[in-house]
Amino acid sequence: MDRLLTLFRTRLALRTATIILLIVGLLGMGFLFLAVQMRASSEQRVQYTRLEELLSTVERTTQIACFLGDRQLAGEVADGLLSNRIVSEVRIVQNSGEVLADSRSSSDSQEAKSIMRAVHSPFEANAQLCQITLVPDQQRIDAIVSEASRFLAMVLLLQLAGLGLCVVVVVVRFVTRPITGIAHRLSELEVETGHKLQAPRGNHHDEIGQLVASVNAMIDHLMTSLSEERRLRLEREIEERRYRTIFDNVEAGIFELDSEGRVIVANSAFRRLFQLEDTFDPHQQAVVLSELASEGGPTFEELAARDSEAGRARQWEMALGSGVLKRWVNILLSRLEEGRLQGVAHDITERKLATDAAERLALTDPLTGLGNRLGLERRLAVIARHHRLHPECHHAFVVLDFDHFKSINDTYGHQAGDTVLEHVAGLLSGLITQRDYLARLGGDEFVIVLDRQERREQVATLLTHFVELLDDPIMIDDTVQIRMGASIGVALLGVDTDDVQEAMHFADQAMYRAKRAGRNTWRFHGESLTSRC
Amino acid sequence: MPRIHYLVITALLLHTGLAQADIAMVTNADNGIDQLSQSDALNIFMGRYRKLPNGALALPIDLVPLKARFYHALVNKDLAEINSYWARLVFSGQGSPPQQADSAAEVINLVVHNPSALSYVDAARVTPEMRVVLVLHE
Repeated sequence: MDRLLTLFRTRLALRTATIILLIVGLLGMGFLFLAVQMRASSEQRVQYTRLEELLSTVERTTQIACFLGDRQLAGEVADGLLSNRIVSEVRIVQNSGEVLADSRSSSDSQEAKSIMRAVHSPFEANAQLCQITLVPDQQRIDAIVSEASRFLAMVLLLQLAGLGLCVVVVVVRFVTRPITGIAHRLSELEVETGHKLQAPRGNHHDEIGQLVASVNAMIDHLMTSLSEERRLRLEREIEERRYRTIFDNVEAGIFELDSEGRVIVANSAFRRLFQLEDTFDPHQQAVVLSELASEGGPTFEELAARDSEAGRARQWEMALGSGVLKRWVNILLSRLEEGRLQGVAHDITERKLATDAAERLALTDPLTGLGNRLGLERRLAVIARHHRLHPECHHAFVVLDFDHFKSINDTYGHQAGDTVLEHVAGLLSGLITQRDYLARLGGDEFVIVLDRQERREQVATLLTHFVELLDDPIMIDDTVQIRMGASIGVALLGVDTDDVQEAMHFADQAMYRAKRAGRNTWRFHGESLTSRC
Repeated sequence: MPRIHYLVITALLLHTGLAQADIAMVTNADNGIDQLSQSDALNIFMGRYRKLPNGALALPIDLVPLKARFYHALVNKDLAEINSYWARLVFSGQGSPPQQADSAAEVINLVVHNPSALSYVDAARVTPEMRVVLVLHE
């Protein structure tokens, strides 16, 4: 059964033939039923016609028998009729009711529609003498009918079987075999060689030919895309090798980050730069980029920011290590795809140091090592920003101008002036804290920015101390001693004004007031109050 | 002379044939039957009845020279059919055809001497010893 099912599933011809046979069988059944029905009724009619004919044949003799009332002749007639197997009973009854003959065949037959016919005188056409009744043998007729039907059924069955066989043969010959052939050839075909499929003979112009043509077109297409694919792969390999060479040998560190900021790819330059071991495997140990930095670098939020479109690079500078070994690295990150960033890292320590040095130089007074005017302006800008953000914090601006400094230069020479300036700078530096800023604007004019200085008393204390220190004579050389005096003006940012430049201006004015007041003293701008920070 | 006689007979015969004279059914004058229907005549001559309507036995006699005309007039059938009819009955042994008489004289003789006899002659030949019971027109 299973084998049959398998065969049914795998054999197109069998399936087709079965389905066709099924349909033809069903139709045949209907036709057979109709045909048998029609045949039966026609056969029935034929039998009755035959009976009528029989009666006609014996009519004259029957007429004579009736005419003479001859029982023997009537009996002969009845027996003659009964010798026909489809007749089961014959009755000849005279009009007077006298029965001339009543014979029946031996077999008991069921009641059937009998045929009656009036018998006239042989000499007088309109004188009815008796009646002859013929009862057909229904069983016999049925047997004849069923035999005819059987024959019909047999013929139809044979036709059906023949048809099925023909369908199988035709399907196998014209459909299955060409398809099998194509399938076989297709399985042996080596597409890479560009070989084409041959259509079976005689199928060039039909559907099978079309199928073959389609397959060939597909092979062509496949060949084209295959060679294109191969070419692209080759190109890609070259590209990859090229990239790999760059990746491995370039001075810049190349790396990739995932969405958590973890390093997932890193070249050797990156490892060197970030002092990772050569055996570092990103897949084995998780290294978060921001944790490598001692200062600066992108935060997690910055990495996760979605506004960074693909292709647009962002830059950070980050410091690694500390102290003398501190190194600076510039990293450039661009989005590769969702949750994946590509980065390039450069060692910018040298440049950073050089830049820092240059900047320091630009902001420093070469003589004293204090800040210069540019440095002060930078500082004031910082203070202004800080003050805007925290207006409750006060800063003191102190402007110093030494009395009669010009005469020292004139008297003892520039060398002596410089020595004095260096000395004073040293004194001032010793008084202020790390947060405060000290600048020499040129000549003998100094400015101190006291960060978060809220009270005049504090400033006054500091200045008192300074004036005391200044009171000690300065040794120019073994013979020359100079005693210096300074006029000092103070203004408080956040108390006197909220504007930095104005505060500087106020301090300047206060310094002139001190100068006018007899030098070597200090003045605060206005009569301001103390405040807290 | 006999030659002339024959000629006369032939002429007469021809004459009667041509004249289509009626056929008279005749019986013995003494048997008491005056009239016979055509149906009775038919039944008796075709062997169905053996008796006359009055119950006396019937003895039908065919006059051979007139037989064809008679049966034609009586049942509208020719001799072949009549013969085939009798052939069937003879075969079954049931009844026999009427007695055959070759001449009118023989018929007359039989009718005159046998009260059961029933026969037919040309209407022109009827004699007083016989009684005409039925005249068949052709």
